Amino acid sequence: MKVSRNWLQNFFESPLPSGEVIDNELTFHSFEIEEHVGDMIDVNVLPNRAADCLSHRGIAKEISAILDVPFSHDPLQQELPKWGKSNALTVDIEDTQKCSRYIGAYVKGVKIGPSPLWLKEALEAVGQRSINNVVDATNYVMLNIGQPLHAFDADKLAKKDGVHHVRVRTAHDGEEITTLTGEKYSLPKHALLITDAVADVPIGIAGIKGGNVAQIDETTTSLVVEAANFYGPSIRRTAQKLNLVTDASLRFQNNPSVQLVAYGMRDVLELIVKTAGGVIEGVTDVYEARPEGAPVSISLEHIRDVLGIALSHDTVSNIFKRLDLSAEVRGDTFIVTPPFERTDITIPEDLIEEVGRIAGYDILPDEPLPEIAIQMDNERYHGVERIKDFLVERGFTEISTQSFSKKGDIALANPFNKTKPMLRTTLMENMEDALIHAKQYAPRVFGPNAIIKLFEIGTIFTKNEERVSLALSEKLPELDMLFEHHVNPLQKGNIVECSLSTDMLISIGKEYTPKQYENSGMYKPFSSYPFVLRDIAVWTPEGTTSTTIEEIIRLHAGELLVRADQFDSFTKDTRTSFAFRLVFESPERTLTDELVNTYMEKITVALNGESGYEVR
Amino acid sequence: MSVGKLHPITIATRDIAEVFERIGFTVASGPELEDEWHNFDALNIPATHSSRDMQDTFWTKESPPRVLRTQTSSVQIRYMEERIKNNILPPYRIIAPGKVFRNEATDATHEAQFYQNEGLVVGEDITMAHLKGTLNMFFREYLGPDARVRFRPSYFPFTEPSVEVDVWFSGATGGKGKWLEVVGAGMVHPNVLKNVGIDQKRYRGFAFGGGIERLIMVKYNIPDIRLFHAGDVRFVHGFEQKII
Repeated sequence: MKVSRNWLQNFFESPLPSGEVIDNELTFHSFEIEEHVGDMIDVNVLPNRAADCLSHRGIAKEISAILDVPFSHDPLQQELPKWGKSNALTVDIEDTQKCSRYIGAYVKGVKIGPSPLWLKEALEAVGQRSINNVVDATNYVMLNIGQPLHAFDADKLAKKDGVHHVRVRTAHDGEEITTLTGEKYSLPKHALLITDAVADVPIGIAGIKGGNVAQIDETTTSLVVEAANFYGPSIRRTAQKLNLVTDASLRFQNNPSVQLVAYGMRDVLELIVKTAGGVIEGVTDVYEARPEGAPVSISLEHIRDVLGIALSHDTVSNIFKRLDLSAEVRGDTFIVTPPFERTDITIPEDLIEEVGRIAGYDILPDEPLPEIAIQMDNERYHGVERIKDFLVERGFTEISTQSFSKKGDIALANPFNKTKPMLRTTLMENMEDALIHAKQYAPRVFGPNAIIKLFEIGTIFTKNEERVSLALSEKLPELDMLFEHHVNPLQKGNIVECSLSTDMLISIGKEYTPKQYENSGMYKPFSSYPFVLRDIAVWTPEGTTSTTIEEIIRLHAGELLVRADQFDSFTKDTRTSFAFRLVFESPERTLTDELVNTYMEKITVALNGESGYEVR
Repeated sequence: MSVGKLHPITIATRDIAEVFERIGFTVASGPELEDEWHNFDALNIPATHSSRDMQDTFWTKESPPRVLRTQTSSVQIRYMEERIKNNILPPYRIIAPGKVFRNEATDATHEAQFYQNEGLVVGEDITMAHLKGTLNMFFREYLGPDARVRFRPSYFPFTEPSVEVDVWFSGATGGKGKWLEVVGAGMVHPNVLKNVGIDQKRYRGFAFGGGIERLIMVKYNIPDIRLFHAGDVRFVHGFEQKII
């Protein structure tokens, strides 16, 4: 939710603190701040507060509660007007589960034109485009108090006996709509629509976007203004299906209060009359009351038991007051009736969260868990780790691979990688690939003459069950010392795979403590560019050590040398020959032979410069 | 000659488990392919909740469909159900490290499969102060003596109150510390206890969960999460390992 600091200021008499303070207070007591640019603060409203806080009023209320600065006025606590019933408009709702309230107002004699400067500026401050005085009024009120609204050009709707009929119903088979911005949508069967019941045509996708049929333009003089409440899950489903998430759908999908509808209508009518003139002919309100805002009780003791800190009666009472949570006090118990817009407060723990976050979680003490005698049950885990330790001691490297595969028993309905739509039934395929790559990288990773041994312990998914499996790049008969791993192993080339049953893991995990390793230093990244190999052999005087030669090589090889391994040495007469394999690699580019040759030349010159050395 | 090495996830899991085993935690496990009950309903995530949408969760084509678990919180549910079935009442203390899956676009900080460690403590007298104390203790052990946590308000369907946990860390960045968002946590929602048959009037608990890769990335300065599960030996051998 993008909010403007100037807009928020409207709710307060005293000036708001700096943007930095607001950011900080909201972060630690309400919501994360996504970004803050100039006057605009993008607040990451949490899903459970989307019903009341996707609005300037909601965010301002949070600031008011956190900083304990009073509101100058609260639009949701000001009286609602009594409208006369419309003779020009009827409303009919097919399913009150999906639309529990629809208020339609008929306004005549408006003059469409540009919005006043203050309104334009307010919208632009939060990244919205100004369209015209009526459309802007609906957007402004939504952004101010959170109620989505819509205005139709009444003269573009059909009439029967001089009366417009609006009907809220689900889409017919094959029904289509073209939206305000010109895109055409085929409507899914469950989609809820606002329709012109006389002509039986859709004029809007309920709670998502208006249609172009009854679009406001410069010729418009009469309006049907809509304020409604639609069932969140239904709106979300349609918005997703159509891939059309709008400011309205975001608000409806979080189940705002049904009572908010009337406040939205009050404010938008007032603003339309102010900026576009016109007269309110009448209002039609179809309202299926649903239970909202039942009182929730909480005791000081319960708050202490959950937060782990005792807060005084005064502290709690003050927090509730700041949040407009009116409470009836009975001893140490508060019977709280949440204001209608706080549809999120339904259980005592919700109130504990309110107390905790407003008081600030930094007041919580640092309490260690009580020392208790408790039966641990770690044999299975220790069994897995014992196998890993056993293998690493024998030169195996552990790898981890992806669980998706080309072939398998269980298919995904929505695979991420379309070429691997199944769950793996074996670790072998990944092991084969890993081994091929490991061989390519061997000179870089392991050095010359390395024997590459890999293993993976991972989950496989067969038709009947999910199993933990072990794959080895080669057979290891010694593993039988731990368990009979050659009971029906799968084998493909050198690769073997066997299941690790829970019983077996538990039995080998008893009395075993996994070894603790330390990764010393930071991770050393590898280059995504190919490495280059060069061999160099040098005659040296008898008694020269390999380390001495390696030092000379490293000193002159430049920083692209990533490995120098001695792979051969022999003594003839009074001289010893050492052969080294050098690996060069750049993190930034593919190395050319010429460049590597210049390094080799430097190394050769340096080695030849030592007394009694001769590069072969 | 061949030098064996453990995958960094294994080393991190052992480090984490070792700290928690000292204070009585069991390392629990559960299936990666879950039914809707254990992955969603029991965790107080209703059918209408956005995290059940196609775009976040991998569903199977089976009937009824199953899901690749989106968090190891499903292990909490299985653990508690199994205890209650065997008439073993709390206290419970478990951690559940394991692979989880999210159907989202991958980049340097997002993978479709990654590891998470989840913790759960249930008892008669467990408070949010214990949550803070436990996480402070853990991060001091894992990241170093100057690590400390702070809580910010958050929302998860399975905890109430819910918090986002930042940890102060000055390791890999060369002495200049910063706050990192590492874990989501909170007090176990009463509905979750009720769903597994635990008396929510008598018992309370806390739970926390966070990505293991992210912790390792921060601790060892690893640039890309996609390196972890690509079966690449160059990654595993990018660390100097020493047995303690």
